[in-house]
Amino acid sequence: MMRLGPPAVRSPASAATPATTPVAADVRRRSQTVLRKIRSAPTFATSLAFLLTLTSLCGCALTKYHVPPPTGDPLVDGQNAIDFGPPKDRVLWDYRTGLAAMHFFKSGAAVPYFEDALTRVEGVFQYDRSARQSRRMFSEEAKKTFIGEPYERVMAYYYRGILYWMNGEPDNARACFRSGQVHDSDTGEHQYASDYVLLDYLDGLATAKLGGDGSDAFKRAKEHARGPSPPPLDPAANLLVFVDFGPGPRKYATGEYGEELRFQERPTDLRGARITINGRTTVMPIYDDLYFQATTRGGRVMDHILGNKAVFKTATSVAGDAAIISGAILAAGDHNTEVGLGLIAAGALAKIISASTRPNADTRMWDNLPRYLTFASLRVPAGEYQATVEFLGVGNVIYGNLTKRLTVRIPESAADRVIYVSDQSIIHNAL
Amino acid sequence: MKHPHCLTLALPALLSAALLSGCASSGVKNPSGVPVTEMNADERGFVTGTGVESQDLVAVSDKMARSILAIPQIANASGIPMVVLEPVVNDTRFPINKDIFLTRIRVLLNSKAQGKVTFLARDRMEALQKERQLKQSGQVTTTSDPNVVEFKGADFFLTGTLQGMTTRAEAGVSDYVLYSFQLIDARTSAIVWEDFAEIKKQGLEDAAYR
Repeated sequence: MMRLGPPAVRSPASAATPATTPVAADVRRRSQTVLRKIRSAPTFATSLAFLLTLTSLCGCALTKYHVPPPTGDPLVDGQNAIDFGPPKDRVLWDYRTGLAAMHFFKSGAAVPYFEDALTRVEGVFQYDRSARQSRRMFSEEAKKTFIGEPYERVMAYYYRGILYWMNGEPDNARACFRSGQVHDSDTGEHQYASDYVLLDYLDGLATAKLGGDGSDAFKRAKEHARGPSPPPLDPAANLLVFVDFGPGPRKYATGEYGEELRFQERPTDLRGARITINGRTTVMPIYDDLYFQATTRGGRVMDHILGNKAVFKTATSVAGDAAIISGAILAAGDHNTEVGLGLIAAGALAKIISASTRPNADTRMWDNLPRYLTFASLRVPAGEYQATVEFLGVGNVIYGNLTKRLTVRIPESAADRVIYVSDQSIIHNAL
Repeated sequence: MKHPHCLTLALPALLSAALLSGCASSGVKNPSGVPVTEMNADERGFVTGTGVESQDLVAVSDKMARSILAIPQIANASGIPMVVLEPVVNDTRFPINKDIFLTRIRVLLNSKAQGKVTFLARDRMEALQKERQLKQSGQVTTTSDPNVVEFKGADFFLTGTLQGMTTRAEAGVSDYVLYSFQLIDARTSAIVWEDFAEIKKQGLEDAAYR
């Protein structure tokens, strides 16, 4: 009776078990030969040790940062992330926490966050080891010190400029707006370089208030306006109202390995704002759109680097597959077993290298940024007023749940009163 | 024929080298950025930290202080000229502590001029006025008649302007800053002294940020 099932592997010295067929006997003999060689060959031990060493070295980032659990207070959580989180994310948390402080009408608390962030942004020309590492094959882009995409850096300067103006320093505010335009100037799509309407407009307004000629900046602002054109500069305006609303763009990665950075438009029905103060209502149309700014920046040099990493990852994976397959075929033969084993080892190494290659794009983002920016400059006599900022949708529908009511004190002095309001503003404070 | 073990050991290494020889940064110019050097305004080069920095403040204020001391209105003045500091105007793209320039110039002049120039603390007038009122009302003691106006008038105003020009391209960012200072006759508005310093810097950030 014929025995069914796989043949047992026996030592050559043991009593021979009759082969069921000549072919099966031949396979059994070849398998025994290969296994004997695998187990005995120094190559196997060496390769195995090498692979194990590589595997252990490829590995895992040890978690050495222990950030306290979230409390729900963005200022506390942000400060904890800065104090206890990885330094590479410090600027990101500076941005988030600084803006959160502004949403709470705590401009004094916001200043040090933006100061710290912008000091590091301006220091980008220094040698940065983390940036260099992020360009390497086995490091992901998110390893670099975060300073943000250009639209994020621009907004850091924008908010710092607002804070300077609040502090009675329109010239330093103007400097920030100008720096913002510089950071928007290195774009792949040159037609979209330095095209923020408000940055030029505010440059011109500050210049006019300082006794200079702001007409060139105002002209640039009008040229860049894709919607309503900003009103003429009014150096006599003493109440400056900065408003923003809508959810900002969201970063995500696409491509076979997530090597392509993309921006998602988050829908909103908000289309404008208006402020009512001293019995007068001023409509505030959209002047700048951060989703537009993010998506018209053009390609990054880092996209090229990540693309190379993706190609390398694919190539090493394919090479590894080929080496393993061809190595297995050779190893099964009588004459090239050791070469075959070497190829298998090389193939495995290539697969490890491929798996270790990190082409992932950095999707860290300043996630409490708004989408739309608007502004108004008003002449208001000295005194204390109740101001109402309303957010408008399509057809000027008022989103009552977003309305902010403020007490605004206009000083007797010539200094400008500056207020910042967002649809995300949380506390109704006197200003 | 038995293949030598060195071949089976070398083969994985050789393949590794071949596989690892590719560079993700290939095709990217200056991927690591360029180190920092200071340059003259008429030179081309690459530098980092293109803004106004402390060494600029030192160099500019040193130059201005030396220059002021040499003018006849100061060096050969019959009395001691009274000078008021007017805030510097920042017309660059770098937010700066504007007062620091004039503060350093004032300190240098006070230390080097040996009393040839007197600066008036107009930025403290509010506190000084309050003190005078306290003396006039008798709430505090005084060693002189508080009703006599003794606040000094200015003979000159010392002020300045910082102006900049910025260029940004794929090759990097270039910033030029012109520091100009003037001594203005308070009586005639004539600019009796003017001097300047200019600094240009250039830099290129790491490819990871471009």
